[in-house]
Amino acid sequence: MSSPAAGRALRYGASEEEKARYHGLARRHGTPLLVVSRERLRVQYRDLQKRLPDVSLYYAIKAFPHPAVIETLAALGCHFDVASEGEIELLQALRISGRKTIHTHPVKKSQQIKAALRGGSTTFVVDNLEELGKLTPWRHRVGILIRLSFPSETAAVDLSRKFGCPPEEAPEIAERAQRAGFQVRGLSFHVGSQSLSPQAHVDAIEQCRRLLERINERLPHPLGTLDIGGGFPVDYELRGFDYDAYFQPIRRALERLPRDLHLIAEPGRYLVAPAVISISSVIGKSRRGGLRWYYLDDGIYGSYSGQLFDHARYPLQFPDGEGPRSPSVLAGPTCDSIDVIAENLDLPELNEGDLVIGRMMGAYTAATSTRFNSLNAAKIVVEEEDFDVG
Amino acid sequence: MKEFQETLYDSISQCFRIDKLYYESKTEHQHLMIFHNAFLGRVMTLDGIVQTTERDEFIYHEMMAHVPLLAHGEAKEVLIVGGGDGAMLREVRRHPGVERIVMVEIDAEVIELARKYLPNHSQGAFEDPRLELVISDGMEFVRNCEAGRFDVIIADSTDPIGPGEVLFSDDFYAECHRVLKEGGVMATQNGVPFFQLDEVRTTRRRMGRHFADQTFYSAAVPTYHGGIMTFGWGSDEPALRQVSEKVLAQRLSEAGFQPRYYTPEIHLASFALPRYLLDALEE
Repeated sequence: MSSPAAGRALRYGASEEEKARYHGLARRHGTPLLVVSRERLRVQYRDLQKRLPDVSLYYAIKAFPHPAVIETLAALGCHFDVASEGEIELLQALRISGRKTIHTHPVKKSQQIKAALRGGSTTFVVDNLEELGKLTPWRHRVGILIRLSFPSETAAVDLSRKFGCPPEEAPEIAERAQRAGFQVRGLSFHVGSQSLSPQAHVDAIEQCRRLLERINERLPHPLGTLDIGGGFPVDYELRGFDYDAYFQPIRRALERLPRDLHLIAEPGRYLVAPAVISISSVIGKSRRGGLRWYYLDDGIYGSYSGQLFDHARYPLQFPDGEGPRSPSVLAGPTCDSIDVIAENLDLPELNEGDLVIGRMMGAYTAATSTRFNSLNAAKIVVEEEDFDVG
Repeated sequence: MKEFQETLYDSISQCFRIDKLYYESKTEHQHLMIFHNAFLGRVMTLDGIVQTTERDEFIYHEMMAHVPLLAHGEAKEVLIVGGGDGAMLREVRRHPGVERIVMVEIDAEVIELARKYLPNHSQGAFEDPRLELVISDGMEFVRNCEAGRFDVIIADSTDPIGPGEVLFSDDFYAECHRVLKEGGVMATQNGVPFFQLDEVRTTRRRMGRHFADQTFYSAAVPTYHGGIMTFGWGSDEPALRQVSEKVLAQRLSEAGFQPRYYTPEIHLASFALPRYLLDALEE
């Protein structure tokens, strides 16, 4: 049997202060909970700004589409990557101008295009002429980014399978778009998400540099924007990932680009993953086949959905429980047998009401959680205070 | 938000300082703002696009009302589609020969807001006894209206994306043609062609199908930025465009009011279109 616990960071116990905080939150709000730290978001945003100094950051709302996250980032000057009407409505409700967005979904209904334009979102991503055709009625108003595909072998989530045109097709799409009267802003790509190697980004940037050079020699209107996507990894394994080493080659690749090129990135995970923790409670226990089973009030169909959809293994912390550890299973609250968060964990004995903390749980957690078994989604609580992200 | 940045075009955008925000709505379907700008006075925006400002609205409303009304000369029944701010009504009712003004606005709330926050637009026009105010979809109204009812139709619409979309449709022009009397004329808001040349092309194609004489006339409204804007013109009576300056002046003086922008000379000149626009229409 494979070991889903492999590569999962575990932390036993917690400082008195931390423990008091978790239990305080659980008492005040009940569990399951997702707790957002505004301060950790700010730290992440500033950190990424420092690491990618000339790049305008467009938070990928889909990662954790919550008003408090959007508002906190907007206050720092962050822009937004939107992909649906609902995401635009979220921004409008917060009075954030569509001017601060790009619409990045490569495939849209005509209705969605109109809704985006009404929301003030005027830059659209396309990866083929068919899709470009849908924008024809608004060709004088919109700006176009052509999405390229650079398949990645190292990313946990490959985003080049479904979208993006082969780089060699880009010049023709750009040319035909310009001839059809479109304003082509530039190129975009997504090398995939949570790759621990920067090489895919570096290679893609370098290819785009050459491609832009070639296109701009030929076309009457030079392309002036490069959108390098997102996918920057976070340290789910809590092993002290070397972010300096990761970002340095990307920065160097960007430095080789013309100085007047507008640079855009669409970080989701990097900004929001470390800014949210999950707090769930043990609601039942049993002993099955020599293993201890603990049933939590959150699971795969809830906040831990990212383990399925996003291939993430969130670090777990057990502030409660003492004594000798034995092999245990953590399961979610639904009646489906795939609702297992982790197996082969060495855990101290836990009791009903004990808390389990999921860390780094901001990206693609609540966003993809379901209402299976008519269970309520984890309540989202927003706090000012930072988390200890060790 | 301390400033309003227009979101019409991807690569260019005009920006207004908001000196005082009077009103901001955010319903699911639209985002409407009314604010004060030190130079422009009160400004109304819808979905990120300037709709009207106190400083330059007279150019738009005078040109859209007086050009068809004075070209016609004896309009008695007038239909205004849209125009919730009341300024088009204000201009139409300055013509004493007009006996009945039907105004069809889809959104009653816009009228209430405009009366409250843009009182200088309507200046009491909603009290005119000749007014029949209908809260309804303009398309529905003309579809259900008897043929040959109106002398002049003015389509004072918003941007073609959103609730105003249907007022740029082939069906709408067809129905308007049907409800016009013989010798009647319709005028429409048709955007800024320098930035959106497709709008005149599309209107020529759709409106031109139904009217023997279809053209555009123009005026520069500063806050509809991008140079001249066009008004669509549709009539089966080409003579309406041949009325002399002298006759227009005569009609204006009989009407007995003083416009701020409109003159008979401008009326005639406004039908002269720049080459790039003519070329686009001839394609």
